[in-house]
Amino acid sequence: MNTRVLINTEERQQAPSKTDARLQQATTPPQSVSKPDYDMLETQLDAIKSEVKDKIGAEDAAYIRRIILIQRICEWSGRILLMLGFLQPLLWVAGVLSLAAAKILDNMEIGHNVMHGQYDWMNDSHINSKRYEWDIACDGASWNRVHNYEHHTYTNIIGKDRDFGYGLLRLSNDFRWRVKNLWQFATYILLSVMFQWGVSYHEMAAERVFFGKKKKNRKNQVTHSELKKRFFSKGARQLVKDYVLFPLLAGPLFLWVLSGNLIANLLRNLWTSTIIFCGHFTGDVETFKAEDCKNETRGQWYYRQALGSSNIKGGNLFHILTGHLSFQVEHHLFPDIPARRYREMAPKVQAVFKQHGMHYNTGSFWKQYTSVLKRIVRYSFP
Amino acid sequence: MLVQQVKPAWRDGYYRAQVEAVRNLSSDMLEVILTPEKAWPSHIAGQHIALTIEVNGRLTTRVFTVACGASFHRETKNIRLITKVNNEGALTPALSSITPNTWVNISAAKGNFTLPNTDKPVLMVAGGSGITPFIAMLEDAIENNLIHRAPVHLLYFAKPNEHVLQSELLALQKRANNFTFAVLTRQKDGDVKDYLSHFADAHWLVCGPNAMYEQVREVAKLVRATLDSEHFAALPTVNIGSLSEKETFSLMHNGQHLSVNNQKSLLSQLQEAKQPVTYGCGMGICHQCQCVKKRGVVRDTRTGELSDSAEQLIQLCVSQAVTDLEIQL
Repeated sequence: MNTRVLINTEERQQAPSKTDARLQQATTPPQSVSKPDYDMLETQLDAIKSEVKDKIGAEDAAYIRRIILIQRICEWSGRILLMLGFLQPLLWVAGVLSLAAAKILDNMEIGHNVMHGQYDWMNDSHINSKRYEWDIACDGASWNRVHNYEHHTYTNIIGKDRDFGYGLLRLSNDFRWRVKNLWQFATYILLSVMFQWGVSYHEMAAERVFFGKKKKNRKNQVTHSELKKRFFSKGARQLVKDYVLFPLLAGPLFLWVLSGNLIANLLRNLWTSTIIFCGHFTGDVETFKAEDCKNETRGQWYYRQALGSSNIKGGNLFHILTGHLSFQVEHHLFPDIPARRYREMAPKVQAVFKQHGMHYNTGSFWKQYTSVLKRIVRYSFP
Repeated sequence: MLVQQVKPAWRDGYYRAQVEAVRNLSSDMLEVILTPEKAWPSHIAGQHIALTIEVNGRLTTRVFTVACGASFHRETKNIRLITKVNNEGALTPALSSITPNTWVNISAAKGNFTLPNTDKPVLMVAGGSGITPFIAMLEDAIENNLIHRAPVHLLYFAKPNEHVLQSELLALQKRANNFTFAVLTRQKDGDVKDYLSHFADAHWLVCGPNAMYEQVREVAKLVRATLDSEHFAALPTVNIGSLSEKETFSLMHNGQHLSVNNQKSLLSQLQEAKQPVTYGCGMGICHQCQCVKKRGVVRDTRTGELSDSAEQLIQLCVSQAVTDLEIQL
């Protein structure tokens, strides 16, 4: 794996985005026609939340344990099947798919949701946001800081939510056009392929750990050396596990296992990246300016979450494999409610949005994905 | 999770135990017999364990005295817990309906409340379910012939008709001439302090509600008696009406003390005190400031909901103190 490529690209593209002046000339896409009654919105969404919260219990605990069990079974049967490829190559293919499914379940339905604190109420020392460590290159604590804090608090506020375009892609007119944006579609493909490393490097890129001018007055709670240590130790552990340890265990089947792990990781990267892009970068998703969000009420926060996310329609298995991020709108409104509950919340949320004249952004996978691709291409040009 | 298929309730840092039997001793007292796994280091009579069971998906922990001697555990491989069922409580109602063979988690035995090694007579004062450590101590002491040295007397207070295990006490008395006991109720027999004056030269042990302990402690101070105690303030009582009034509580974190009030969030008070604390959004979304609360009750500032009193994860930015607290940063 060549992580260097990504690091360099990311750096080159991020360094110039530091002047705040450019943010001033930001032109936000047209806002929804009328502003809702924020207080009423807050009361209604809070009511949906507390109603579901009262129901959370044994069922949800059993659910997440069952998913973890399925994930473990997929992982180990996948790793074993990879070694049986010499008997029948189809077994190897099944192994790749099984291992990829395990990694997807681990990252999405388990890792993402557990690390959001959705299951902290269980008091289980293994299933909580402090302890859980996922099967991905990104250190859990680093992701917790950037994703749970920055992305979920400052969703789509230009300059504050670094997840908007990941400092790599220009996805709205809030950023000045640069020549390199012309080939940002290729950058996007590269990011998707290497997604786990992108996620892993994300915090360090923004903190300018290796390259670029350090931002002044950035209060950081974690020192750069700590960030580096965590990045390399978690990254190395993942590389050793998938590309040294398990292949070596397979002995003469070294290459079978190595290539199987590589493809499983690739499939996981493409899947997670695609789902996440569909949740935030569809055509209708709006952005916000920092000065508009000063002293915002909880109602206004809800409003911003609602317009900054988009859902994908699909079946039961699809929802589970996306970690219920196919309900990105509900996830952003209620990030610490167990994700499987988003299904029953969705119709109620949609009704509330309708009443306030707010756009409930949803559609089939292909519709949403086409919209994302269009957006990436559209903003490649000035 | 795979391990848990073979070993239910297997958890890092806990011992496992299987429920052998549950029975009612009286209308609200419950006896639970557990079979701890072999790895469980036995206890010293008088010590307590933390019991963790799953209540509606939530792992809930409470501390109970082991109500049997170590000799009982050695012979039967079982231990016994005795508890009062508190219908408003988080754990005991669920415990009363737990089915035999269920796997639960227990901690190693802890505590220094054990029979003292002394030649002085011993006075035991029990209040309500505070009888449990004494049953354990007496069982082992009589089994190991330790009671012949000096007399042991037990004052057993409880509400009328709520004294449990009297037949066991009688049996113990038959086995050891030096052991005597009195079954008392405050309504009929008056306060505990009226009974203490004859025992000034004894080593006192008291286990019971806080109010009872206070009475005993005062007398002990007067007559200069040696006193060991284990007293429980049951559930800290929280008066919802008083939340608007400013109150101050003590916050223990990583061995340090801080006094906090019930008006501001714990996060802002820790920050004001310049304590190193990780934080993020300040509004309960990002879980950066989350930490383990070891004991005490906090209020969620968003919903007004009160937390459990045992160990739990809390978010400092949306939590206010309602009782004294201990947290781990």
